[in-house]
Amino acid sequence: MSPLHFSFYSAFTFSCLGLAFHRTHLISALLCLESMMLSMFIPLSMWPIENQTPSFTLVPILMLAFSACEAGAGLATLVASTRTHGSDHLHNLNLLQC
Amino acid sequence: MNPHAKLVFTMSLVMGTSITISSNHWILAWTGLEINTLAIIPLISKSHHPRAIEATIKYFLTQSAASALILFSSLTNAWFTGQWDITQLNHPTSCLVLTTAIAIKLGLVPFHFWFPEVLQGSSMITALLLSTLMKLPPITLLLITSQSLDPSMLTFLAISSALIGGWMGLNQTQTRKILAFSSISHLGWMIVVITYNPNLTFLTFTLYVVMTTTVFLSLNQIKVLKLSTMLISWTKTPTLNASMMLTLLSLAGLPPLTGFMPKWLIIQELTKQEMTPTATIITLLSLLGLFFYLRLAYHSTITLPPNSSNHMKLWRINKTPNTPTAILSALSTSLLPLSPLIITMF
Repeated sequence: MSPLHFSFYSAFTFSCLGLAFHRTHLISALLCLESMMLSMFIPLSMWPIENQTPSFTLVPILMLAFSACEAGAGLATLVASTRTHGSDHLHNLNLLQC
Repeated sequence: MNPHAKLVFTMSLVMGTSITISSNHWILAWTGLEINTLAIIPLISKSHHPRAIEATIKYFLTQSAASALILFSSLTNAWFTGQWDITQLNHPTSCLVLTTAIAIKLGLVPFHFWFPEVLQGSSMITALLLSTLMKLPPITLLLITSQSLDPSMLTFLAISSALIGGWMGLNQTQTRKILAFSSISHLGWMIVVITYNPNLTFLTFTLYVVMTTTVFLSLNQIKVLKLSTMLISWTKTPTLNASMMLTLLSLAGLPPLTGFMPKWLIIQELTKQEMTPTATIITLLSLLGLFFYLRLAYHSTITLPPNSSNHMKLWRINKTPNTPTAILSALSTSLLPLSPLIITMF
């Protein structure tokens, strides 16, 4: 595996691990989600350059648009959780156990 | 909710599903999944109750992570094979990551922890959408890529889903959580046969959608959210409770009813493929589910009231016409004799 591919893999894997091992705040989970998307944006942007297919240039923009929408939806749920639960602490989300 | 907003979100759900199931390129499939996630977030959280918001957060985090993993698996496959075709997902790492991502999306064990809580926090109709429509795009992606996925991992996911779905459903009193665990165990049955005969998976999914839609709509009609409410619900709609008993037994997979058809065909296919221990184990594990379906059926038809009442039937009922429930409950109890025809359709 080339060093470039290894760096993309490890960027995505660390973001994924950051999302899996988040501790207190919802905002840190959302940040890890965004960094997962960013770590996929860079290789997607390199694809049309490496493979000389200009028609693929739309794809990183499309991906970025959808991940921005998703980030907006995540922030909306953050605001909603602050309104109902008082904070964005994830260990407060225990109403649905029963 | 504002009717225009509700229309936009529902149409977005349909559009996102259509985009994913009709796509050949991984980016388009990912786009459809993202549209689905974004569109159902406001539908889950529309009541602004703390439980609904909590369900929204849990749903959003898991589904977004799974979508990112799907995109990552397609990206690694594109690096190694140079193409983005969904049917040509050949790289082993990509297959493993894709299986994990779709297991998270569907709610297969060991990624099932979000599913009962999200269903519990949403309204009955939203829970119906989450169990049926939102499962269609991931199952489609799994069907298209099924020939290159690892059979032993899928069998492990399937058997553990049947085990956990049956076992954890035994201790539940909230009907939405019971239906969540029934969904998990049915997904286990769908996944166990996907590498051998994907048409059976699609048949199981379709029949599961018909039966579970009937149960959700019936429960929504009598507004039953927990078992204790179900005990006194027969006075509202005696006929609906009787037909709900049959539908629940059909979900359990009892022979003269429709729910037996997928189980029978799957066991037949597994024994043809020399997977007899798997077939035996998954059949025995569906007995766990049978117990809580029987309990639900018993509660829905019990007529001894908990307190003495002077009249047999409530006299002030609202007679809303209930065509979808009627059609679907007829389908979900009597399709077994038509199985030769139905097999040829898939």
